[in-house]
Amino acid sequence: MGELFTSTIWPLTVLVFQILAIVVPLLLAVAYLTYAERKVIAAMQLRQGPMVVGPYGLLQPLADGLKLFVKETVIPTGANKVVFVLAPMVTFILALIGWAVIPFGDGIVLADINVGVLYLFAVSSLGVYGIIMAGWASNSRYAFLGALRSSAQMVSYEIAIGLIIISVLISAGSLNLSAIVRAQAEQGWYVFWHFPMFMIFLVSILAETNRHPFDLPEDESSLVTGYNVEYSSMTFALFFLGEYANMILMSAIASVLFLGGWLPPFDVWPFTWIPGPLWLILKICLVLFVFIWARATLPRYRYDQLMRLGWKVLLPLSLAWVVLTAGVVLAFDLAPSAAG
Amino acid sequence: MPASLHLDLVPLLPELVLTVAALLLLVLGAARERVRAAGIVAPLTVLALLVAAALAGVLDRTPQTLLGGHFRFDAMAAFLKVLVFLGVAASLLLGSSYVEDERIDRFELPLLALFSALGMGLMVSAESLLGLYMALELQSLPLYVMAAFQRDQLRSTEAGLKYFVLGALASGMLLYGCSLIYGFTGTLSFTTLAQSFGPGSPAGVPTGAVVGLVFVIAGLAFKLAAVPFHMWTPDVYEGAPTSVTAFLAAAPKVAAVGLTLRLLMGPMADWVGQWQQVVALVALASMVLGALAGLVQTNIKRLMAYSGIANVGFALVGVAAGTREGVEAALVYVAIYLAMTLGAFGCILAMRRQGTYVERIDELAGLSTRQPLLAAALAIFMFSLAGIPPLAGFFGKYFVFFAAVKAGLVWLAIAGVLASVVAAYYYLRIVKLAYFDPPAEPFEPPSGPGLRLVTGLAAILVAGFVVLPGPLFDAAAGAAASLGPPAPTAPVR
Amino acid sequence: MSAELFLFWLMGAVTVASAVMVISAKNPVHSVLFLILCFFNAAGLFVLIGAEFLAMVLVVVYVGAVAVLFMFVVMMLDINFVRLREGFIEYLPVGALVGLVLLAELVLVAGTWAMREPTTPAAPALAEAVDNTRALGRLLYTEHFLVFQIAGLVLLVAIVGAIALTLRERVGVKRQDVARQVHRRPSETLVLERVEPGKGV
Repeated sequence: MGELFTSTIWPLTVLVFQILAIVVPLLLAVAYLTYAERKVIAAMQLRQGPMVVGPYGLLQPLADGLKLFVKETVIPTGANKVVFVLAPMVTFILALIGWAVIPFGDGIVLADINVGVLYLFAVSSLGVYGIIMAGWASNSRYAFLGALRSSAQMVSYEIAIGLIIISVLISAGSLNLSAIVRAQAEQGWYVFWHFPMFMIFLVSILAETNRHPFDLPEDESSLVTGYNVEYSSMTFALFFLGEYANMILMSAIASVLFLGGWLPPFDVWPFTWIPGPLWLILKICLVLFVFIWARATLPRYRYDQLMRLGWKVLLPLSLAWVVLTAGVVLAFDLAPSAAG
Repeated sequence: MPASLHLDLVPLLPELVLTVAALLLLVLGAARERVRAAGIVAPLTVLALLVAAALAGVLDRTPQTLLGGHFRFDAMAAFLKVLVFLGVAASLLLGSSYVEDERIDRFELPLLALFSALGMGLMVSAESLLGLYMALELQSLPLYVMAAFQRDQLRSTEAGLKYFVLGALASGMLLYGCSLIYGFTGTLSFTTLAQSFGPGSPAGVPTGAVVGLVFVIAGLAFKLAAVPFHMWTPDVYEGAPTSVTAFLAAAPKVAAVGLTLRLLMGPMADWVGQWQQVVALVALASMVLGALAGLVQTNIKRLMAYSGIANVGFALVGVAAGTREGVEAALVYVAIYLAMTLGAFGCILAMRRQGTYVERIDELAGLSTRQPLLAAALAIFMFSLAGIPPLAGFFGKYFVFFAAVKAGLVWLAIAGVLASVVAAYYYLRIVKLAYFDPPAEPFEPPSGPGLRLVTGLAAILVAGFVVLPGPLFDAAAGAAASLGPPAPTAPVR
Repeated sequence: MSAELFLFWLMGAVTVASAVMVISAKNPVHSVLFLILCFFNAAGLFVLIGAEFLAMVLVVVYVGAVAVLFMFVVMMLDINFVRLREGFIEYLPVGALVGLVLLAELVLVAGTWAMREPTTPAAPALAEAVDNTRALGRLLYTEHFLVFQIAGLVLLVAIVGAIALTLRERVGVKRQDVARQVHRRPSETLVLERVEPGKGV
């Protein structure tokens, strides 16, 4: 019994607590991301944003959550029930499991696997399933059209993201996220070396998370909010949470791949004093601000323009950059050592 | 880095030329307007193929294995590559006016042929199971698309789809066989296979590997259109655009026979007891079915399909012999077959009346009075296909049967002679139609210099073979000799 | 039972069960969903044997790309799958026979593999410890370089073929030409007129 406890039960308990230590703050962060979004956009538009519930409207996200929670879950008659209920869960779970491999600091990571980048790439490529399942199971034209738009869009921009990741991992010589951050400690942040790719990455993750200006799947003026039109109450809340959790995940990926993860910007006293996880959070906030900024500033793309941008601009550019990176690494013998 | 990985790419030059040409032409074609693109891409494709053939002909033929042991260049590869590349170039020239008339002259067509030719070149140089499979795929995938190229016609798309589905099935069988062989022997490389299981090796041939070999032969038989994997042939031949049919019937068969020889007479040469019966039976069935089913055809393209099945049977007789003479005979046979088939399809492509192409056999009635030259050429090819001396086809058949008799397969040779006697009936019927029947409406004169050039050249080759048979026999003998024990190099794992 | 063994049995069972569901599910979309479940568990099995790269690539390629397109097609098709299935019982004996033959061969392979005498060396282990991503990369880009390149060409042919068979150039369609839009200058399109009051242009 004692052996069973030390070999299985105790590690499992620790694991559960570790997971909770990531998920609970994440959900809080999602709640306050919606608040931040409204406040920032309000500030940009010279409004005040939510001010009623709590001081400065700070309790507004909780009120919104409560409202969704107590409403009735409506399942349309023509819907395919199992898939209909499964879809928001898939979206939400996929938005959470990506966090398993994000390193918050040197050694502070739930699963330090060798193929971390690929894992993230796989998880983000699966995000499309929640949407396409929702669109199909709703048995509604608008929802289905939204789902089709969304899947086409995500599949297209994933290719650019994949190629950008390849450039990064050629430089780092590893698929392990911690190793990529450590490589940036030596070589300098990749945002400097791969600046064009960083910009393309930002654009691509906007499309990948269906955010403005690429939010055609949820285009309310032509699709009455698209794939989630038939969802209400908790099922809708799961989609909502999933979308925002995905934004945070994508920002975290951008921070780890390009902005040096947990590393301070300068390796001198006042910066090194701040702990690594805090730096990561600051960087995530920075990228999230870009998400919100884009939403407040840019008009929505037309669908053919979106596809053109993905296939005819971003894809060739990132492919050319892979060739360039590989060429430079080979020509100047910069290939990182085989460690990791 | 393994020592075998010296980057000596010289033996790969023909393939490199084709690859670079294909990529450049793809960009050129995509950048141009579609109509004008075809007019540039097609001649350049032919040029690239001719250059590749010339390169394959002049390269040093000392057997060498390179690129991790997946690729082997020797006299056999050179011989077959010259044939294949010339065959592809010739069939492109043949079809040049047809594709214009039928409005399928888009630049992808010659480009796909070029990719297919590249696959054929790699096929006849395959030196590992992996190389074999990939080259075969590269060769067949363009063929499926080409067969469906007349995409607005039901017949053509049906042909393409049928070909694709059955071809995928055959690839699956082939791959399953390859994996069995790999599983039982632990190697992909032909070189290692020959060394490990050759004479004097302590281990016998593993049973599982023999099962795998049967699967591989089944897959290859499909690509060759040999009985019992021939069902797709008549439909695909009939449905595909005629220029594509000419392509399908010519070079891919040569490459597939080459690949079969390379596999069976290379690493499997010492397993001859294991595969001889299978190949002999396939050959027998192909010859008999090709001869009998051809008797009742009214469409000349279907007739050529059965003729192709029978001819593959004859070539396989040489393979089944399992001797060096057998290899030599099979090589000579496919070379002659290439010329005969291209020529015959040249005549079929000339069957044009009031702007449309006709395919019924009785449309040929009385050809001799209207177009004596075309009729003469047709007669030459048909007599040759029937195996009438002194035309080239006779020598091809004579040598494969001779090799079979020497290898002790007397029954197979006798069956082959009987089958060719039966098949002679339908070839001669065409000649009779053309010369002795009351004339039908005249055809338009053969359009396009390519068609006339290739058909004329083929006729001269087939008819004049008896005058100067030496070069072909010498080349085939050299090629067959190079299939001996593989050159010792570091093998693939 | 160790955790690995437990996971192996669990994922193995789910893989097989979902594979069965793929062919027996009534609704084709459910079939695709079960196929995805099957891929997932296969990826899990890969992870268990330490082939994490293959596991991730299986998910990225098959689940993330191939199955999505499957799903697209299946959702848009309006095929009566029950009718397609009508001949199922008729063909069952033949299918079962083929399946049995393949099974027998697999057993044969596995059996002989287990009992075989070491005739040829299996692939020798790499001298240094490298993770399997690196090991695969080394093999693909050195020994199997040619085959790898041919695979690339095969894919290119597939693209060319698909475009050749499906692309129809329509005439009379207005297309956006971004370069032209960007290079357009006000002087080419705008005329500033001073209009006298009460006269019009």
